[in-house]
Amino acid sequence: MAEQEQGVLGTPVTRRRMLQGSTLAGMAAFLAACGTSGTSPSAEPTAAPTPAPSAPPASTAPSPTQEPTPAQTPSAELNWANWTYYIDVDENDPNKHPTLDRFKAKYGTTVNYQEIVDDNDTFFGGIKDALSGGQDTGWDIVTLTDWMAQRLVRLGWLEKFDKANMPAFVANLKDTFRDRSWDPGNDYAAPWQSGMTGLGYDETVTGPLTSVKALYTDDPRWRGKVEYLTEMRDALGLTMLSLGLDPARPDRAGCDAAIAVLKDAQDAGIVRDVKGNSYAEDLKSGDAVLAMAWSGDMIQAVIEKEGLRFAIPAEGGIIWTDNNLIPKGAAHKFTAELAIDFFYDPENAADVELYVYYLSPVKGADEVMLQKLPEIKDDPIAFPPAEVRARLVAFGALSEDDEKYFNDQFASVLGVG
Amino acid sequence: MGAFLRRNRRLVPYLLLAPGLLWLLLFYVYPGFQMAITSFWSGSLEKGFTFALENWTNYTAALSRFSGYYVRSIGYSAAATILTFLIAYPLAYTIAFRGGRAKNLLLFLVVAPFFTSFLLRTISWKIILGDSGIVFGPLKDVGLLPEDFRVLATPVAVVSGLTYDFLPFMTLPIYVALEKVDKRLVEAAQDLYAGPWRRGGTIVGIVLGGGLGLLLGQIFGYWPPFLAVGGAVAGAIIGALLISESFVRVTFPLSLPGVFAGSLLTFIPSMGDYINAEFLGNPDTRMIGNVIQNRFLTQTDYPTAAALSFILMAGMLAAVAVYARALGTEELTTGRV
Repeated sequence: MAEQEQGVLGTPVTRRRMLQGSTLAGMAAFLAACGTSGTSPSAEPTAAPTPAPSAPPASTAPSPTQEPTPAQTPSAELNWANWTYYIDVDENDPNKHPTLDRFKAKYGTTVNYQEIVDDNDTFFGGIKDALSGGQDTGWDIVTLTDWMAQRLVRLGWLEKFDKANMPAFVANLKDTFRDRSWDPGNDYAAPWQSGMTGLGYDETVTGPLTSVKALYTDDPRWRGKVEYLTEMRDALGLTMLSLGLDPARPDRAGCDAAIAVLKDAQDAGIVRDVKGNSYAEDLKSGDAVLAMAWSGDMIQAVIEKEGLRFAIPAEGGIIWTDNNLIPKGAAHKFTAELAIDFFYDPENAADVELYVYYLSPVKGADEVMLQKLPEIKDDPIAFPPAEVRARLVAFGALSEDDEKYFNDQFASVLGVG
Repeated sequence: MGAFLRRNRRLVPYLLLAPGLLWLLLFYVYPGFQMAITSFWSGSLEKGFTFALENWTNYTAALSRFSGYYVRSIGYSAAATILTFLIAYPLAYTIAFRGGRAKNLLLFLVVAPFFTSFLLRTISWKIILGDSGIVFGPLKDVGLLPEDFRVLATPVAVVSGLTYDFLPFMTLPIYVALEKVDKRLVEAAQDLYAGPWRRGGTIVGIVLGGGLGLLLGQIFGYWPPFLAVGGAVAGAIIGALLISESFVRVTFPLSLPGVFAGSLLTFIPSMGDYINAEFLGNPDTRMIGNVIQNRFLTQTDYPTAAALSFILMAGMLAAVAVYARALGTEELTTGRV
């Protein structure tokens, strides 16, 4: 759920309008992209991505987009399951996605892009029977969070990328995402967006906060008005940071310690509720004044309510990543690879980013964003400064047994165990 | 076809039953069977699940760990059923006997909320009941309520949500039953001195109202004597002023089939509901539906989820059987005067 967007009622376009106020940039991007279809010969078919020399920043020059091996042709359709508000939207027509349109034009394909993923578990529940039976799920790309991607890798339910078709991915994937412990060689998961989990609070009530410990401290200013996240890795991760433990290396002892802190705070009456992204509504209505919060929600919330703040605590924050995956047996694997690769062009990645305002995994995208919209560097949520980014930790991989244990323990925090 | 049916008269009922039976077989019996198998699994998603009869321990383990959630669900559902009854009965009575030409419009208004999605209706309660929302905000501003008073994230909010959601399911069956009541029976009763019922109504009102208040107080976790006194006072007033003997002896008994149907239609879905507990409650108010959802979707613990569902289903079947025996459906549907 961490990746859920601005709530049902959120209208992220407001921010774009506020910062930008013009559609010219989109037009320019369109024109620029038209020029990128270079025709250099086939890419080197490396099994593992060679850490590419970091792409020259801020260059508007076309990224190393190479045409795929000529043997295959793009299929007529591509089915992509993604979250809501997770790709750029045309300002005049909410059903049009400019970057996707460019992809369609470039490869002469159609894309059935569905904003159908509401949370990882429910979506997994919908595709698991097909996958375990060895059938096509009907999706060629599914965009799911790290831990769900890990589970699918463990289950062997993903197609391995043919990186000969994905030169931009090989070249432009940021180093932090290379060779993650659960996907060495980046064979199965291509990061789509990352977001941050930190503190959301109403500064007019709580005063300025910098420590994550506030979440577990009984204080009359926020007693009974604190909310925790239902997403296990976010709630446990932040709590582990408050205890000085490293969420990147989660173990059962750390889990137990964090659960104890969470339970104590609940028993002490500090906590009002444990919920998914509706905490943002509560912060806006004042029903909550301090919460574990996701950057994507807060970017909108701070505009809508004076005094709301989002902060990555001094102890650190959690970074999570949603990944584009190709489910086993996908009918249009080749086209899916082309699509995943298409969004590793910094130009295209920046266009998506300037709409969704998450963190891009694409080298060079930040620079393109700064060019297109210089004001963004003053926005600490959409464009966190380097020292904030340095404090972000990704929750480490869990074995199946540990994942079961963590979830089972965490059920008591959720009130269902 | 017509000739065929005339020659095979005995087939007709089976043919008429066939679509319903097929539907039940496909979407109830078969999944139920699957679920029964699942509840005897052991293992995990990645290592694979295996079936073994020794895994009946799934049931005992589930029951011993989660029995508290069944108790809570029964409490909330019972409270919601009683409250819907208290709201729906006067409503249905008014529509049936005093509706006049507005009857159809009033009935339409009863079902009107169904035109909005269930989820949206539940979420709109969050706005209405918000700590500084349109109800409690002004009350807090004038100092009638303490600043930290809240209804959201408490059992009251969950039960209120359930009550609201299932109100039409209680109202409509009671309305149908009351509509059928022969008015001449009421007149006959009145001719036979079944008039106002002051003393009896007061006593019954105090006992019933007080008892209900006590019960709801227990479930909501409020100070029970407070609600019991309130309930007793309200019961006494209603009993003394609004209840006549003809109602107690004629109208109410004749409407019991509607009450029976309505309370089943309210209680059973409430037991399985998890939306209200999720959106209006907090971790202290989760119901068995939330546990099953968590076990099934989040934890991929399909055996426990299946066992919990089966226990819920079996428990409900047993409860309904007892209830039907107590109220005697057969007698009720044929009417007892």
